[in-house]
Amino acid sequence: MPRRAGRELRLSDSWRRRLPLLPALLFLILLTQVPFALSVYYSLTDWTVVPPGPREFVGLDNYRELLRDDFFRDAIVTSIQLTVFPVVAALVLGTAFALLLDRKFFGRGVVRTMLITPFLLVPVVIGLVWKNQMFHGLYGVINWVIEKLGGAPVEFVSEHPTLSIIITLIWQWTPFMMLIILAGLQSQPSDVLEAAKVDGAGPFAIFRQLTLGHLRPYMELGVLLGAIYLIQVYDQIAVITGGGPGSTNVPYYVFQRSIGGGWQFGLASAYSIVVVIASIVIATFALRVLSRLLKGEAAA
Amino acid sequence: MTAVRYVEATRTYPGGETPAVDSLSLDIADGELLVLVGPSGSGKSTALRMLAGLEPLDAGAIHIGDRDVTSVRPRDRDIAMVFQNYALYPQLSVAENMGFALKQHGVPKDERTARVRETARILDLEPFLDRKPKQLSGGQRQRVAMGRAIVRQPAVYLMDEPLSNLDAKLRVQTRTEVVELQARLGVTTVYVTHDQVEAMTMGHRVAVLKDGILQQCDAPSTLYHQPVNLFVAGFIGSPAMNLVEIGEAHPARIGETEIVLDRAAADGAGRLTVGFRPEALHLGDGPLPARIRAVEDLGSEMFVHVAVEHQGDTVQLIAKTSPPFGGSAGDRVGLQIAGTMHLFGEDGSRVASGPASLSSAGAVSRS
Amino acid sequence: MSGDDATPAVGERRWVNLALGILAWSTALIFFFPVLWMVLNSFKTEEEANASPNLNFEPTLDRYREVTESAGGLLSFGEAFMNSAVVVLVSTLIVLALAIPAAYALAVKPVVKWRDVLFFFISTKFLPVVASILPIWILARDLELLNTRLVLIVLYTAINLPLAVWMLRSFFAEIPRELIEAAEIDGARLRGQLTSVILPLAAPGIAATALLCVIFAWNEFFYAVQLNPVDGSTVPVWVTTNISTRGEFLAQLSAASVLACIPVVLAGWIAQKRMIRGLAMGAIK
Repeated sequence: MPRRAGRELRLSDSWRRRLPLLPALLFLILLTQVPFALSVYYSLTDWTVVPPGPREFVGLDNYRELLRDDFFRDAIVTSIQLTVFPVVAALVLGTAFALLLDRKFFGRGVVRTMLITPFLLVPVVIGLVWKNQMFHGLYGVINWVIEKLGGAPVEFVSEHPTLSIIITLIWQWTPFMMLIILAGLQSQPSDVLEAAKVDGAGPFAIFRQLTLGHLRPYMELGVLLGAIYLIQVYDQIAVITGGGPGSTNVPYYVFQRSIGGGWQFGLASAYSIVVVIASIVIATFALRVLSRLLKGEAAA
Repeated sequence: MTAVRYVEATRTYPGGETPAVDSLSLDIADGELLVLVGPSGSGKSTALRMLAGLEPLDAGAIHIGDRDVTSVRPRDRDIAMVFQNYALYPQLSVAENMGFALKQHGVPKDERTARVRETARILDLEPFLDRKPKQLSGGQRQRVAMGRAIVRQPAVYLMDEPLSNLDAKLRVQTRTEVVELQARLGVTTVYVTHDQVEAMTMGHRVAVLKDGILQQCDAPSTLYHQPVNLFVAGFIGSPAMNLVEIGEAHPARIGETEIVLDRAAADGAGRLTVGFRPEALHLGDGPLPARIRAVEDLGSEMFVHVAVEHQGDTVQLIAKTSPPFGGSAGDRVGLQIAGTMHLFGEDGSRVASGPASLSSAGAVSRS
Repeated sequence: MSGDDATPAVGERRWVNLALGILAWSTALIFFFPVLWMVLNSFKTEEEANASPNLNFEPTLDRYREVTESAGGLLSFGEAFMNSAVVVLVSTLIVLALAIPAAYALAVKPVVKWRDVLFFFISTKFLPVVASILPIWILARDLELLNTRLVLIVLYTAINLPLAVWMLRSFFAEIPRELIEAAEIDGARLRGQLTSVILPLAAPGIAATALLCVIFAWNEFFYAVQLNPVDGSTVPVWVTTNISTRGEFLAQLSAASVLACIPVVLAGWIAQKRMIRGLAMGAIK
């Protein structure tokens, strides 16, 4: 009799722990797995919406076509460019800004306020403002500076589409990295820094030997979160180049193939499934990073 | 010859109304272990940090040896510091922690390794050289912190409550080790603590601070027997000195019992307070009636807490005695004073001291 | 690290401090310049805005008047603003309502497989939004939810939930175990523990999380433009209606952009210290 009661008690305890998790979990499963499952299904059909065609099961045909698709290959290259460069540049720039902000100086709060603003702006605004105000061939501010310095104006958007988008992405995401790194700098125990000062370390030595190591988990978090969001960039591409060559990443390409004009829902779905699989593979590598972040807590 | 001198050193924190350290002047001899002691907020840590160069001076100067180091950066002062929470570098191993300063000063690797190893041997840290701080116990980390300072062979050691995070037994043990080590190395050491027992047992001299102001700096026994004011008298010694305000009454009384003392020195000192140590208070059938509140039996000695009626209030006193003692809580007992009594004036400073006693009848002249 | 007091550390040369302060200011001004210029442009006429940059102009509120006029059938600023406000606030509240208990179940009284659950939450962000739009659009159409606020509320909740759970879990994990145990002994269960211990202590972290959710939800464009092209659309979509293929539009676009960005920018400015403190408290760990 007592043993059964004990077992019952344990069962309800583990379910009681799960209960608060369920609403969020079920909500998310419903809203993400259903579309995912449907996407898998569509990817196995040859469904086109315009002209409307029957939805016939064609197995892995879409995936085969994908392998032959040069545009898809280009889109992958662009995706990599639009993710890696902004993440790295934003991290470096954001760290530099955070270091500048980590000391006391007059008007520090105002400077910080100015530096975080780009991340708060609407991305389509960022795209439109940079395209029409900064990059503009005739009246753009950047070209005005270039001309003042004696150079020839540059048509950024038409001649350097990828670079233009990358610049706006770096501008947008640097504050994000800066905030994370700033949090990391402030969480360094001050007595360790003082000990280093007493031990004879100058500011560069302290940064290289102590601070960088302390910042590592923060940088990893920034890179992880930044990458997750940057892979999916759409807004700036849509408003700056509308998807011209060299500026189409995979999401935008999928968009072009489906509701952006291609109307080949089946094919586009196959492409997205490939993206998902690739992301999971990449994420499993990143999972080791995640594990270490989380395990650090279990050990502490 | 590295003595340390504080010359009217003052520091006020921005936004603070009173200085954290106010015109501190101290001469610390070469090779001396000087303890800075005081309650929290007394400025002792600030004073230490000023010596380290972690806290700027608003007035005054600090000298290390012949140099005026007031505007010199910490790393150029030839000092080493042990921090209260050890401040070990988390990603470096024990050996790297200890060798860090040597590396910063360009000491070649071979010499570094040799010195680190030697220091580790002195402190029994050899098995841990490759471990990271988070793999060590509190006591081991404390020794690494000490080792990090010792390996540098600096002109001055600074220690900021290095033992306060250890458990009681380890603290007592480590105390002795620190004293021995300092004597052996012969390096001038400035040691901060809030624990007056630690201060009394460790320092060649002890500087008592309160609210940023130096109260007294003397050898421990001088502090104990000749406290310069009420604060020092009450702070030094455990259990604390018995202090009774006796006002300006002639003759001086505790309760209804007269005290014999020479009032001449006390003239003009306003309302007086008398002080006498627990060992000067005797229980038995003395003239001052008291009631026992509690008896603490520590085995080798006993502390008896008594309550006395004095000027309309109940005053609590502590008496120290050796076992056996037959009384218990609630008993009535008579108190007598046999030993040194101190007189403190209204401003807290000590006015007179001498042997004194209580009289049941009239005054018994002080010899 | 507090305050703007510029006294240098002992032995540090004053000019180093000054130089770094100047460097910080110049960097910030350059970095902030596009925003500043956008605001200036919003007060100009189209001629002035489309000429070479110069500071000589007479400020006018005409552009603002033009963009906020009723657009007669097309999306007006007022409508877009209301839609955005409602969608963002409601979805953020729902996110918090779902994420707080979930974070509790992952941090305070952890479920055994909490690391896997956390990975699952993050993995839901791997399916590109441009892909999920296909089935979602069809579902929305069939459920007659196109051009409604509800569809955006639901979707924004779904895209912000993983981040919220992730962040709140770290913040909750920072709360000292003893406080939870004390509350438990006093008889508090989930709701009691939350209200008396967890929420007060994790408040900066919750604020940081909420702010991030607001930023991402307010600025979201793709779902809004695909699902709600006409009614129920949001401010980001409205901004794009201020581009014209005929003639110049930069000043007008600037005015529209300023209006579109003000709410989130103000929220971010006000909450920035809390965000940093929240992130420092426990976003990593």
